[in-house]
Amino acid sequence: MNRFYMGRFTDLFGMRYKGYAGRILWIDLTHEKVRVEDFPENLAEGYLGGSGICARILYDLIKPGIDPLSPENVLMFATGPLTGTLFPQACRYTVAAKSPLTGIWGESHAAGHWAPELKFAGYDAIIFLGRASKPVYLWIDDDEVEIKDAGEIWGRTVLETDDILREEHGDDVKVACIGPAGENLVRYAAIMNDRYRAAARSGMGAVMGSKNLKAIAVRGSRDIEVADPEAYMDHVRRWHRKMLSHPFMPDRAKYGTTNLIELMQKVGRLPTYNLRQGVFDEYYKIGGETIYRKYLVKPVADFACLQRCGRYTAVYNEPYRCMGGGPEYETLCSLGSRCGVSNIEAILYGNWLCNNLGLDSVSAGGTISWAMECYELGLISRDELDGLDLRFGNEEAMIELLIKIAYRRGVGDLLAEGSWRAAKKIRRGTERYVMHVKGQEIASQEPRAQKSMGLAIATAARGADHLYGFPVLDEVGFEKEIRERFGEEYLPEIADRLNPKYKGFMVKECEDYMAVVEAVGVCKYGTQIPPVFYYQDIVDASRVTCGMDVDVRKLKMIGERIVNLNRAFNIREGICRKDDTLPERLTKVPAPLGPAKGHVVELDQMLDEYYRCRGWDLETGKPTYEKLLSLGLEDVAEDLLRKGLIRKAES
Amino acid sequence: MPYIYADPSRCTGCEICVLTCSFTYFKVLNPKKARLRVVRMEPAIDLVIACRNCERAPCMEACPNEAIKRTSKGIIVVDEGRCDGCGRCVEACPLDAIHIPPNGRAPIKCVACGACVQACPVGCLKMAYSFEEAFEKRRNYAERLKEIILSLRSSG
Repeated sequence: MNRFYMGRFTDLFGMRYKGYAGRILWIDLTHEKVRVEDFPENLAEGYLGGSGICARILYDLIKPGIDPLSPENVLMFATGPLTGTLFPQACRYTVAAKSPLTGIWGESHAAGHWAPELKFAGYDAIIFLGRASKPVYLWIDDDEVEIKDAGEIWGRTVLETDDILREEHGDDVKVACIGPAGENLVRYAAIMNDRYRAAARSGMGAVMGSKNLKAIAVRGSRDIEVADPEAYMDHVRRWHRKMLSHPFMPDRAKYGTTNLIELMQKVGRLPTYNLRQGVFDEYYKIGGETIYRKYLVKPVADFACLQRCGRYTAVYNEPYRCMGGGPEYETLCSLGSRCGVSNIEAILYGNWLCNNLGLDSVSAGGTISWAMECYELGLISRDELDGLDLRFGNEEAMIELLIKIAYRRGVGDLLAEGSWRAAKKIRRGTERYVMHVKGQEIASQEPRAQKSMGLAIATAARGADHLYGFPVLDEVGFEKEIRERFGEEYLPEIADRLNPKYKGFMVKECEDYMAVVEAVGVCKYGTQIPPVFYYQDIVDASRVTCGMDVDVRKLKMIGERIVNLNRAFNIREGICRKDDTLPERLTKVPAPLGPAKGHVVELDQMLDEYYRCRGWDLETGKPTYEKLLSLGLEDVAEDLLRKGLIRKAES
Repeated sequence: MPYIYADPSRCTGCEICVLTCSFTYFKVLNPKKARLRVVRMEPAIDLVIACRNCERAPCMEACPNEAIKRTSKGIIVVDEGRCDGCGRCVEACPLDAIHIPPNGRAPIKCVACGACVQACPVGCLKMAYSFEEAFEKRRNYAERLKEIILSLRSSG
């Protein structure tokens, strides 16, 4: 393989803003070429980093209508300016491309130690173009960047790949890779980093697999500088004190996200039996208390994380003996209550399998639970399922299916396409039971018991997704924070999770803020739940870390710009208001049980309010020409206008 | 002799101590410029490695220039003026607790200043002042391990 060395010439023109590594790595896999470019300063000013620069660069690079699994797709990893610094939970990266699951904007985020290491190696982002002619992996050791043969690790699981690459390059190397699911182009394959951390949603692992790229191993030894070293530590101490003194902290350390099972059960928001209902009779068997008592080895944290919600768990007994990271609430629900499984050891093993095979546990659980419901209703026969008795609660069948999906064996080949595509193939009325938006399975959030979540899932840019907007302020009553953030005028309705009023406004505000949070490389835990940090803290951090002249107004604008840019990407792919929808089960069928009994999601009402707050066209759900102009997206506005996708307002 | 100690079963591996250390001494964020390290090992171990200020210190013995000295408080320090950067101390240390930072000449090591102790969000970093205390800590740790093993046995 070719070796590429790069001089330190870019240092001469170092970036004005600190906090950034200041360079972007371009990898042309087709021609095996490596190129380093400076991080453009205006890109930092307009989009910060992370999800923001992904949105901008990929809007320009990805042509509309391409096949997401073809070499034309572009895969981009990006960290934020705060990634790798001492801001609480600043350890995240964004990975984005056109999604093979939804066919529209795809992006995913993960924590861990990999993203900071990439910055210490001197790169803010990596952009992969084309497709390698045979399996390769990328090895980055500061200025030495090499595309290496992956013959030995192709076909291996995530943990094996991690072991082999660290054996080869040294123990301090951080690895992001795909498992067999990504290699086999499972449409919801994840990219895994630091063994147990997953950038899971929207099938980024399949894009990586389609590029014949197995892994990215990084070691870095460069500095991240800060703009104001004198004041920096005082700010850090203040942020840390603020985070640590929040009343959520003890529970976070004790349970991580696992005790959400109990909390969600209490409000009837725990998806059960493929979202048929929001309560699960045996919830206590799969909840946080059980895990804490019996399976928790210790809490683990990612880089610069004070909350330590990561788990390290172990199952000591056969047949589900396993040991590793996780689980999160999402997995406990999607492989647990959603499939009717109450055997916690099977769920933990399923979680371990998903990590090791590189599968998105949410979409995997969503697809399996859809198949379970169809099987019970007699829409799919036992023969079609390779003889598996796939009723709700059959944990053995569920585990077997996870392996079949990752390797596309038997019926796994069909289920690897995701429930939406699988239903379109089978038909026979199975489409009615697909719990998806825009092709992606709904995560472990029952929207009938929290209306804002229903709206957020319907509008999220990457298809059904609770994290894009993450409107959790009304979930367990953060009235104080709502008052601080939005003022008095929206209370009390906005804090009532069953009331659709003001939810359009809240989702819009939350989406903008979450886009900024992902753009700077910080976790949504700590910024949204618990809501400790808000725009002003990000402003302080950007000033003291990067030396950027920003204020709250500018940051809000950046957030809105990113969301509109994601929307513009989707509009080019044909998305409009009719796609911002929910399955009929959630909008027409009242919740049968639990505290939300009788409720449906009043989606249209909330959508109207949402589009109005966004300044988007009520009929089509598209940004207006003027809206895009006001956000400084002239080229995007012109582009969409030329294609006839948006209109100018009639004057 | 004081040294930094962390319980590997309580350390979460967030590396806030590491970043704090590099910032305290170099005013930059860079784990490779920190005087202590956190090594993550399977399964579930996050091990903080910092100089133990050994009584018979291999680094001191290995140094050909007598650049490594012990202060009155028992802390081993590197005299940068005398050090010629040969790196023999780095090779000699059994704990990997002394290393030459990137773009640096003289090696750096933990001098037990305690900046990291204050920064640890879990409160698991401690300044161990004597071997008696360290022994006490290890015994506590052994007691806890015993509990874990017993509970495993009863559940298994």
